[in-house]
Amino acid sequence: MSSTFLRYIAQRVVQCILVIFIGITITFLVPRFSPTDPVEAAVNRAMMMGQYSHPDAVRMMKEALTKMYGLDGTLGQQYIRFWKGLLSGDLGPSLSSFPKPVMSLIRTSLPWTAGLLLVSAIISWTVGNLLGCLAGYFGNQRWSQVIGMIAMALHPIPYYIMAFVLLVALAYVIPVFPIGGAVDIGLKPSLGWIYISSLLRHAFLPALSLVLIGVGGWFIGMRTLVTNVVAEDYVTYAKYAGVSDRTIMYQYVMKNALLPQITGLAMQIGLIFNGALITEYVFSYPGLGYLAYNAIFTGDYSLIMGVAIFSIVGVSLAVLLIDLAYPLFDPRVKYQ
Amino acid sequence: MLKVENLKAYYQTEMYGVSRNVRAVDGVSLELQKNEVYGIAGESSCGKTTLIRTLFGAFDPPLRVVEGTVTYSLDGESVDVTKIQGERLRQIRWKQVSYILQGSMSLLNPVRKIRKTFWDFTRAHEPITDAEKFEAMARNHLNRLGLPAQVLDSYPHQLSGGMKQRVAIALATLFEPKVILADEPTTALDVIVQRGVLQLLKRIQRETQSTLVIVTHDMGIHANIADRVAIMYAGRIVEEGRVKHIFGDPLHPYTKHLIESLPKIGDKSTRTSIPGAPPNLGDPPPGCRFHPRCPYAEPICRRESPHLAAVANDRRVACFLVTTKENAHVS
Ligand SMILES: Nc1ncnc2c1ncn2[C@@H]1O[C@H](COP(=O)(O)OP(=O)(O)OP(=O)(O)O)[C@@H](O)[C@H]1O
Ligand code: SF4
Ligand SMILES: [Mg+2]
Repeated sequence: MSSTFLRYIAQRVVQCILVIFIGITITFLVPRFSPTDPVEAAVNRAMMMGQYSHPDAVRMMKEALTKMYGLDGTLGQQYIRFWKGLLSGDLGPSLSSFPKPVMSLIRTSLPWTAGLLLVSAIISWTVGNLLGCLAGYFGNQRWSQVIGMIAMALHPIPYYIMAFVLLVALAYVIPVFPIGGAVDIGLKPSLGWIYISSLLRHAFLPALSLVLIGVGGWFIGMRTLVTNVVAEDYVTYAKYAGVSDRTIMYQYVMKNALLPQITGLAMQIGLIFNGALITEYVFSYPGLGYLAYNAIFTGDYSLIMGVAIFSIVGVSLAVLLIDLAYPLFDPRVKYQ
Repeated sequence: MLKVENLKAYYQTEMYGVSRNVRAVDGVSLELQKNEVYGIAGESSCGKTTLIRTLFGAFDPPLRVVEGTVTYSLDGESVDVTKIQGERLRQIRWKQVSYILQGSMSLLNPVRKIRKTFWDFTRAHEPITDAEKFEAMARNHLNRLGLPAQVLDSYPHQLSGGMKQRVAIALATLFEPKVILADEPTTALDVIVQRGVLQLLKRIQRETQSTLVIVTHDMGIHANIADRVAIMYAGRIVEEGRVKHIFGDPLHPYTKHLIESLPKIGDKSTRTSIPGAPPNLGDPPPGCRFHPRCPYAEPICRRESPHLAAVANDRRVACFLVTTKENAHVS
């Protein structure tokens, strides 16, 4: 391993840590500087529910809430306390599901989001690039132009519209798929077929809505990249030498055209993540997005912060992973 | 070995319904012998690359053969590469005729080890039954060309420009082709490296008794390596002859200009360049294509186009100035 390779890794890791640190700090600061006081808001909500409150009780409630949110003491003290809690895995209790800790809520939601996101990101990246490569390589063929037109039409559709259309079409009008949830109610997690099939049936529409849009984007990018690589001298040279079409397409064209798409994946992860959050809400899929929506709806500050922090960490780590894997595909980065 | 007759190859493009013909090769005839080095010279965009592509039978749109033939005699058989396609063409390529493209820096796949590229190029023409045999063959081939076998383990970016070009040459000569077409093989290289690459090409040519066609705008290289030289201007050959005749006694005004613009040792005078620019091949001037820039142009030059006529043994010129004088001399 050369020192440039180590420097490459060190650089990415430091960058990732920095991004996470800044992101979490902003998450810490936003509620503290936002015009709505979370304590005030929570008290108002409690009063609106019609409970009679003695002014003393209100004061005590305020104090308790302030402490619970970690809003007592100076900003510096709060910040240190915040990091201490975070590093020991304590994000405080959730207000909407009191006294459940935020951490445990996130723990049950995270796998759903991670699963949905990972699977649909991988599928759309693979399918989009494969189709884009074929379309770029056989650019003047009819089918490639048809796929191109479909991709162009799909790509600009917002995630929530796609999700909504699929839901209405395939869960209400033609009810082939369930309208929401992650598995049929009452099923115990197991590796049996009943559980797995229920899981797949529930995940299908949310995943499809993410994949359809994702495929369009990767397809368009890849097709352009491939048309450029096809015109490279080394492709012409290999063609003239009689190297088989198959080898040229995979080893000469695709491998080179994919490089920017790998970097592109790292840049798109954040966007896909946001898309997944919206999609989850439309399909009542019990992941982080659904959790976030409920947290916003009920004004559950600690839960909002918890979801935000996990999003930042998750997206940053995914980007780091892709960045670290990049030299495996491009020999020019590894040594030099 | 190779006979080209009245070859016309145009780029036919259409934009907004207006079709355009770029007459990049416009009536070229030439004959190549076994075991000779044939140089093609001429300034940028006069059609050198297009000519060499047509010699290789590489007519990818928008390039099209409009007229003429490119006939190789291979093992006693005549093959016109403007007429064949597909598998038949593939069989001739690399085993009989190789082509080193212009752009020596970018002929190798950046994400593939040289060994793999050797593997691809070999397997395209001969089944590889045994990895060890292939390895021995590749090493042997590199050895013969004086290249280190370690290049097989390298990626292109790890090689110097000169080494990349040598590897490209090694790839082109895997099967000892009878004709090697080399387009600007030294253009991006510095002078010392240039010499090494030229020596390599020359050595391969001598050892395999093959025909080497070398395209470059650098007259100095032709003087060093070529047996015969053709001077191209605006899609046509304007003069052709033995290297010593071309350099010792250039006949065509354009050749004269090219030779005069060569730097000479001890000469400090500034080079004169001919006024004007090379013609647009989409709409070349009538008559002699050089007439707008020719200091000797006469009325006939604007009307009629001079043929490339033999004026002596192994010497052809397309200029009224020369042919009428010679004719007068003969009669
Ligand atoms: N694909 C193409 N489509 C249209 N015109 C082309 C194409 N390729 C080349 N030409 C034109 O054909 C003419 C001859 O080009 P060519 O590449 O053969 O010149 P060249 O002598 O090799 O030049 P250079 O020394 O710059 O390599 C030029 O006018 C060029 O613009
Ligand atoms: S034919 Fe006329 S214009 Fe052309 S090179 Fe000769 S003298 Fe010049
Ligand atoms: Mg050229």
